[in-house]
Amino acid sequence: MKQIVNMMFVLLFTNLAMAADPVEVPMDELAQESVYPVFDHPQSVKNRNVATKGRLDVGLFGGYALTEPIYDTAKFGVAANYHFSELHSLGALFSQNSTGLSKDGQGLKDNNGLDFNRAPKPKNTMMLDYNWKPYYGKLSLSKLAVINTTIYGSAAAGMVAYEHKSFPAIALGIGERFYFNKSLSLKADLRLFVHQAPIPFFKAKNGTGMTDGSNGTTGTTAPAFEQFEERITYTTNLEVGLNYLF
Amino acid sequence: MITLKTTSLFLALAMAFSTVNVAEAQTKKKAIPKSFQRKPAPKVYSDTKNNNARNQIQAAITQFKNGNYQSAANTLYALTKRNDLLAERPQLRLYLGEALMEMNLNQTAAFQFVDLIKSGDGRFTRQAIEKLLIVTDRLGDETLLNYAIQRIDVSSVPNQHREMLYYRLGEIKSANGDFSAAAQSFAKVGPQSRYYFNALYELGLAQAEAKQPELAIGTFKKLLNVRDNAKVTDTNKVAAMMGIARSMYQKKDFEGAIDMYSKIPRDHVMWHDAMFEKSWAMLRAARFRSALSNFQSLHSSYYEDFFIPESLLLRSIVYLYICKYDEIEKVLSLYEKQYGPVQSSIEKFLRTNPASVSYYSEVEKAYIMRKEEDVVKKTTLPLKVVNKISQEGNVRRSLAYIKKVVEERRLIEENPALRSSAVGQYALKILNNRIKGAKDLTGDMVKAHLENMNTELKDLQEQASLIRYEMINGKKETIKKRIAGKDLTDLQVDDKQDRSFYVQNGYEYYPFQGEYWLDEVGNYHYLGKQSCE
Repeated sequence: MKQIVNMMFVLLFTNLAMAADPVEVPMDELAQESVYPVFDHPQSVKNRNVATKGRLDVGLFGGYALTEPIYDTAKFGVAANYHFSELHSLGALFSQNSTGLSKDGQGLKDNNGLDFNRAPKPKNTMMLDYNWKPYYGKLSLSKLAVINTTIYGSAAAGMVAYEHKSFPAIALGIGERFYFNKSLSLKADLRLFVHQAPIPFFKAKNGTGMTDGSNGTTGTTAPAFEQFEERITYTTNLEVGLNYLF
Repeated sequence: MITLKTTSLFLALAMAFSTVNVAEAQTKKKAIPKSFQRKPAPKVYSDTKNNNARNQIQAAITQFKNGNYQSAANTLYALTKRNDLLAERPQLRLYLGEALMEMNLNQTAAFQFVDLIKSGDGRFTRQAIEKLLIVTDRLGDETLLNYAIQRIDVSSVPNQHREMLYYRLGEIKSANGDFSAAAQSFAKVGPQSRYYFNALYELGLAQAEAKQPELAIGTFKKLLNVRDNAKVTDTNKVAAMMGIARSMYQKKDFEGAIDMYSKIPRDHVMWHDAMFEKSWAMLRAARFRSALSNFQSLHSSYYEDFFIPESLLLRSIVYLYICKYDEIEKVLSLYEKQYGPVQSSIEKFLRTNPASVSYYSEVEKAYIMRKEEDVVKKTTLPLKVVNKISQEGNVRRSLAYIKKVVEERRLIEENPALRSSAVGQYALKILNNRIKGAKDLTGDMVKAHLENMNTELKDLQEQASLIRYEMINGKKETIKKRIAGKDLTDLQVDDKQDRSFYVQNGYEYYPFQGEYWLDEVGNYHYLGKQSCE
């Protein structure tokens, strides 16, 4: 999916750039200095195209758990943020995990008889999300258009729900939004989730080896979810979505 | 009478004695004023009837000699109040003033010298005027400075102060419109003087005012040359460049002026003026597109607190030249929207505020806001108005003077011993009166500027009406030509390509989309074309 988005961007802006007429300005009117004019209280930008203060931002996103080895890595969610100022916003997000196994997880099942479908899987995540937006800038990818962008840091806290119980979780990350106009934006978030989670590998009581209790070689019955040990788990997620500022 | 004279002699002798040790002390301590050193060392004539006075004078001298200026000032102040020392009073006052100068109480010292000059005692007048020149120069107190200058014979002033005197004389003559005489005075300030660069600039200015632009350019170039090794943003250097550009404009060398204005560094405060003045030069040089490029910066949000009504009308005139009637309409509407309320506000303020203090209070708020980033104060007048007035030369100097007097008062208030002493109380009284007087005077200046601004806005409003008339006339002619079937170019306001302002960064460009960035100010380029037949 990411490759498709990248290709669309390249094609779109290549076309736009080629469509632009060359602009000739007399040499003596071109900037000769890289210093800034002096004002009493200088501000980097005035009359911002994208003013977020006091506005609600609602969006849909898809996520990809980069470091998840067993279960399906995709997730989808909704998020809403209220921007208290141009620098701070607070919101909430909810994401639903896909069911099933990852390619590797499926391989383990097929080749080793380890059916992780019978271990407790993550279902969804619900968090309060704080964003600190210190950077506002713009990109000119063509001679005809300018895209505004913000880069922000995020800190979220909430719960990650598994099939049998929920665990408190925190997530730290960075993100960037690209505004196509004053309201619509494409966002990308990279978050590191930290929370307690069940270990999907269950060790048989007779000590003969690892098993998830499936009907594989060991032939044992499925263990109860509560029997799985827990540990702190770190998961890196990349989320991409579309947001709209109201 | 005799008693008094002998006491005077004793006083002079005591002063002279003090110089003996001063020579040693100068290498390691603060220098004692030269006036003390110049005294000869006459014989001592004692008079037993004046023992008390002599002892006190001796005590004051010793305190002074030891660098204990505060005690010396206290003692000398007490002595100036004694009726039995009337003959010594001028001299005591002179020394009191010098002690106060050493304590950085320049305003209080100035009063001693003024009193001494007013007393008419010719023995110490010259010294008093000389000292008064120094303290008023430190304070920037123009009233007292003028008072001193009017009473002084330049030839009697020591060389080290003579340059300053010529400079100040030049300023006064310039202010009075006597530019030839001012130029003569400024020309006498030599390269060794700390006033040299200012004098060169003022000389160029006086020559320009005297309608001698060639001479002025020569003088400004000289200033530019002597500051050749200074950094790019050196104010003398930049001021010289501005002077050259203005003089070139004055002699109608518009391209030369544009070239010089373009050299003003962007990170200097004069750059804003340069950009506006360059727009005038561009208009006169028929570089309309270039002038419009500048206006995109000047009318950006960065200049919303700048008082530049003329620039809007200038923009509309440029549009008139290139037949962009829709744009004229927009600019004139913007002018009325921005400066209509400003004019109403000024008129209301002038009508409802007779007291000077109200006017002073407005510029003081602007001054504080400019100096302190986080401070926001509500002004009754629009911010662009108070900003402009607070930066006017006489107001700025007056505010700087008040700041110095307030600082002098703080010095006393933070020193409990001085504050509770007789001389401290006396100084506080003087300073409070001076602060009040200076604030009133500044308030009057502000009021005068406000009245001028009001008049200017009325004039500009009339000009706006004339431009509007020309615009309607132009539109009418265009319609007539259309009816007559002439094929006119249709590049009007709705043609987006032609209305675009582009931001040039030296390598790439991109369209302006309503957002202003600090690094782009001054780098906008208008790419529209003229729409005339």
